[in-house]
Amino acid sequence: MNEYVFVCEDSIEGILSGVYEAYSFKKENKIKSHDSLRLAIKFPDICPLFAEYVAIDTNFENAEKVINTIRKRFGEEAYYNLCLAIASCFEEKADAVYHTIELGIRTNDRHVLDRLSKDCVQKAFKCMRASANEMHHTIEFIRFMELDGGILYAKINAKHNILPFVMPHFADRLPMENFIIYDENADVYGLHPSFKAWYLAQGVAPLGGMIKTTAAEDEYQELFRRFCKTIAVESRENKKLQTNLLPLRFRPNMTELLKFKQTNE
Amino acid sequence: MDSILVSTGKNNLSVCNGKLNIELHKAPPKSIMDKLEILTMAAKYDVACTSSGVDRKGNGRDMGNCISAGICHSFSSDGRCISLLKILMSNECVYDCKYCINRNSNDVPRATFTPDEICELTMNFYRRNYIEGLFLSSGILNNPSYTMELMYQTLYKLRNVYRFRGYVHVKGIPGADPVLIRQTGYLADRMSVNLELPTAESLEKLAPNKHRKNILKPMRQIQNGIAQGKQELALYKSAPSFVPAGQSTQMIIGATPESDYQIMSVAESLYDKFGLKRVFYSAYVGINEDKALPSVREAAPLLREHRLYQADWLLRYYSFRVDELLNERHQNFNIFLDPKCDWALGHLEQFPVEINKADYNVLLRVPGIGVKSAQRICKARKTGPLDFDSLKKMGVALKRALYFITCSGKMMYNTKIDENYITRNLLAEHEKLPFDKDGMTYRQLTLFDDAQENINETLQPAFL
Repeated sequence: MNEYVFVCEDSIEGILSGVYEAYSFKKENKIKSHDSLRLAIKFPDICPLFAEYVAIDTNFENAEKVINTIRKRFGEEAYYNLCLAIASCFEEKADAVYHTIELGIRTNDRHVLDRLSKDCVQKAFKCMRASANEMHHTIEFIRFMELDGGILYAKINAKHNILPFVMPHFADRLPMENFIIYDENADVYGLHPSFKAWYLAQGVAPLGGMIKTTAAEDEYQELFRRFCKTIAVESRENKKLQTNLLPLRFRPNMTELLKFKQTNE
Repeated sequence: MDSILVSTGKNNLSVCNGKLNIELHKAPPKSIMDKLEILTMAAKYDVACTSSGVDRKGNGRDMGNCISAGICHSFSSDGRCISLLKILMSNECVYDCKYCINRNSNDVPRATFTPDEICELTMNFYRRNYIEGLFLSSGILNNPSYTMELMYQTLYKLRNVYRFRGYVHVKGIPGADPVLIRQTGYLADRMSVNLELPTAESLEKLAPNKHRKNILKPMRQIQNGIAQGKQELALYKSAPSFVPAGQSTQMIIGATPESDYQIMSVAESLYDKFGLKRVFYSAYVGINEDKALPSVREAAPLLREHRLYQADWLLRYYSFRVDELLNERHQNFNIFLDPKCDWALGHLEQFPVEINKADYNVLLRVPGIGVKSAQRICKARKTGPLDFDSLKKMGVALKRALYFITCSGKMMYNTKIDENYITRNLLAEHEKLPFDKDGMTYRQLTLFDDAQENINETLQPAFL
């Protein structure tokens, strides 16, 4: 039995286009089971002997159809969770999401994501949990600084592609602010104009050292640094616990943990 | 020539009046930086810093929303979460509670914030995502009602002038006018009145100006207010909500000789009778030298605090009762095992539990299975039997659970249901403590685990 691997673009639309193609491929070629079909987000370095690799182009129309099916069959929450899984940085996510959707449709189970005894659901769950955790950490640890003109600017370095999941939280919280969140790793900007809808922008010239922070900004950064230092009970110092709860990789972007004033370099 | 130093609010001036030279000195006004430092220092021994209990979406116009799970924004070097701007309104205090850093007999720098200063700080910290909201407490300035009114004014400004929709936790001051407490409650998300010490006798000894009755009165008032508020909300959608995130309190552990059993019983009755959301336990940190207190150099009983929190979780989320965990003969928690393991070892007749059949509440009582895992198990087993591998992937701590469960009738390994055997194995798996390996060992803990009569009993359990 030959195995077919569909290689799709690493995005929600890309992977869901792949799901659509896998279904139509199965139907056209009268393949018995989805087990012999797989989804991947990149070609392997060495192609295995008994697998055929097919590149899939992203097709927004097809992806839309799959999204509608997911929403209708599994509900909004499951759709959100599958999107979170797709946002993770793991390579197995495409295949896990595909087979989870397939399992749900085959068994007509609205709660397919609860089937943690199934391998594909376990994998999707792992991906989803990883991005959800990073999303929460980002919501906690992101730090805005005020630039000239009152714009708030924050930089993150996310492992998973969680910026689109973080933006709604801040758009709801700070409706009157013009704010920018820049994910340096993905090179994506999340932009929120005051009292308007937020959007993402890619390939924008870096804001880098172009904009200056205000004088009040320096003062508030110093105030917060002092606050964090003072609030600690010296006799109970426990750096290890602090590191467990506040992993080191977030710290380069956090005001209170930098010795010097934070700039938007 | 005599020289008298008088400190007033006037500018420096020296008046030559014959032989007498009077100098009027004025302390330079404190900067915001100094005030923040002083009033943070004064507030830091309060343990509650949670921003949980209320969901409030943004209204599309004003700043702020609330998430019911709460959000931590940073962690200080002692590993505690920083969620709220935790400050005192003022650290001037007319009381002299022995354990408190702000007691009036202490010579510490004093400062008082104005309502506007607090509002500015809160708003500017909040929009930079430093904090989730404000935690406002205060020393007793002049008298309780005066202090409460200042705090009310601050919250009123914050909500109505600065239009802040984030989280606000405010202390109810015992002895303040009930009208003020009621009005403040409509502006805050959470209110707390500190019980300070578990028993009335201890309170009398260490906090001579505070009385149990005065503490319980506002607590009851807030409880009734919350109940009434819920009723009003059910009738009128737009009724203002009163303390929507509920009420909490805290007690100091280790400064007085209460046993764990006494402390947990107090906590249980607070949950049952006063409808509290949270009770916080604060391991006593020696700040003041006082003959009524343990020595300043004595380390805080952190393991004890940790056990109390574990047991507190069992009360709130695992439907345990205090009587199941402790009793008159067994007054303190086992320092070697967490309360749930300890309970399970004493009730081996109820184990092993079949994962694919057992009731949710039974699963909750298995060591190594938490609320989330139990929920996941119940959902997942509907579609097919679970094995140990899938339990592991769901987040069950199998190294503890394996002695107490079966999957489809089989144990994970060939283990015995025998108290000594399981205890030995559980102890071999070192329990992860939040303060492990940070200069703390069990040996040290036994030294400062304060002088309770039955300590020897806890130290030498039967299996050793």
